[in-house]
Amino acid sequence: MEEGKAYSLNGVFAHLEMLEARAHEAAVKQEETEQQEEKLARLKARVQELRLQRDELRAKVERQEKGQLGKRGVMSDPAQRSAQAVLEWKIKSIKATLQVFYLTGISGKLTKRGVCFCISTAYEGTYLDSYCLDLLIKPEVRIHRHSVPVFIPLEQIAKKYLQTDIRRFLSVLSDHLNAYAGRRYQADQLQEHFSDQIEGTLQRNSLCNLLVFNYNVSSKSKTFPFKVRLLYGDLCCSLPTEVVVSCPPDPPASLAETAAAHSDLFRRTALHKAFRSFSSADESVDGAP
Amino acid sequence: MDETVAEYIRRTVLKIPRDEIKTMLQKWGFLSEAQLQTINFHQLKDNISQDVVQLCEENSADIKQAAVLDIIYNYIYPNKRVWSVYQMNKTGEETDFFDLTDFKKKIKRRLRSALKNVTVTFREYEDNAVWIRIAWGTPYTKPNQYKTSYVVYHSQTPYVFISASVLKSNLPLLCQALVVASNYHDIREMELRSHSLNSLKDIVFKRYSQNFQTYYPKPLQERDIAPETDLRIIQENKNEKERIERVNREIFGDGPQPKLEFAQYKLETMFKSDPKMDVLDKKEPFRCLVKFSSPHLLESLKSLAPAGMADAPLSPLLTCIPQKARNYFKIREKKGLFPGSFVSP
Repeated sequence: MEEGKAYSLNGVFAHLEMLEARAHEAAVKQEETEQQEEKLARLKARVQELRLQRDELRAKVERQEKGQLGKRGVMSDPAQRSAQAVLEWKIKSIKATLQVFYLTGISGKLTKRGVCFCISTAYEGTYLDSYCLDLLIKPEVRIHRHSVPVFIPLEQIAKKYLQTDIRRFLSVLSDHLNAYAGRRYQADQLQEHFSDQIEGTLQRNSLCNLLVFNYNVSSKSKTFPFKVRLLYGDLCCSLPTEVVVSCPPDPPASLAETAAAHSDLFRRTALHKAFRSFSSADESVDGAP
Repeated sequence: MDETVAEYIRRTVLKIPRDEIKTMLQKWGFLSEAQLQTINFHQLKDNISQDVVQLCEENSADIKQAAVLDIIYNYIYPNKRVWSVYQMNKTGEETDFFDLTDFKKKIKRRLRSALKNVTVTFREYEDNAVWIRIAWGTPYTKPNQYKTSYVVYHSQTPYVFISASVLKSNLPLLCQALVVASNYHDIREMELRSHSLNSLKDIVFKRYSQNFQTYYPKPLQERDIAPETDLRIIQENKNEKERIERVNREIFGDGPQPKLEFAQYKLETMFKSDPKMDVLDKKEPFRCLVKFSSPHLLESLKSLAPAGMADAPLSPLLTCIPQKARNYFKIREKKGLFPGSFVSP
């Protein structure tokens, strides 16, 4: 008791400190042993892993040796075709399907309430814009929203074909859009690459179905201004239906012929290609001595 | 040169921000490059405009050229005016071969035959848009160049954008001229108004981003994954947040919204109260006008649900604005799911 009293008077804190220190040491030791056990377990697991691998490789080598002795070529073991390869094949085939959709120009996807179609346009190998249509199926087929330009007669085409023949509707709409894209592409190419031959501005409109402009024709080292009016009567066609080429008054005979030739050319070939042939024709003429 | 023309040019130049004056004068093309070199564009705008007027005097400018400068200014700064959208109808199905020269001739003829004193100026732009500036006069007074109407028309479309002047009385004449010149039958004003001309165009020409579900290979947009700054913070409402984002994206699309300043809802619905309370003696519609204004209304509506200020999805009355192409609504009683916005012609 007296010891206890002596303790209680001065040494309580010291005693506590000592107990604390002991506990700390014990904890540290325990932690060390735990860590060592963990390490041991890890190394054991590693050993197992490596053993497994070694066995696998051994088996593989044996099989290969057997295979080489037995049959020609490598036998693809179905067990070897990993999930990775299957996934890669799936991705490849999906990409190919998407490419097919892109190439044909019309692709569709089922939505919650209907179908969403996407029409891609192209002109002579160059891909141009795409336009989408969101269709609802119930209670009747109708267009929910779309990104078709407002000057394309979508309502007219829909009124005629949407209820009765969706395929025809898409085909007619695709024709309109592709022809428009083609006409616009020709006009843009003309302005971009042959602006030096054009006098003044190229008068065009939203549908690009009427083009009026003046261009220079050089003949015998003199330039003559020609005026041309291209009317594209068929909205599904990217070539003009009506071409009027006018020369300046009192033209020399050869010039009238050139005008007729140009008129014919514009009716048959793309606008920018026609102009390209002019410049190459000029070059060949100038080249001649 | 006429005094009024000189004054008009001076005032137009004063409107232009100083850094833009030279480029705009170059676009105008009335003063030669040599003449423009003689102007010091670093002095006070007052002095710049005086110099410009001096040079215009040398070139004998008349009101036609001054009007072109005004069109150029309004083309570059269209948001200073309020634009209304008008829709035209036609019954025929013939293809329209819009001939610009023909169009301009018809408009001029129509306006000049009705009003002798009117200044009509045209300017065409690359996007197939024709800008028409009209200064109105009366049979007895010269056209007032400061009270002008502007018309923007894209060929072969049924929409016309008009920024009318204060003189509303000339609007019917203008509408008639447009209908005749563009080969349509009639024209009506849509309930769509804004300062931002391009946004109005985006709405009616459907150029705003609509989310179409297609297989068209679009490059995957990297969505910003907000960096988890502190792992101790756990988002309890993560599912709800994601749902709101998804619903918002479905409704508003991914791209920027057209810029509108307000949406106005005129309510003509019956006041719904507890029948016992009987607030109104007579059962008549409770007239009420609700107006939402914002520097950018649609963007602010888009951010309401993610900010937690409204439930997603938002009321269709708010989200239908771009698709219905209107920002003025009249809501009447309808026996249905929600009060239909019946268009009053």
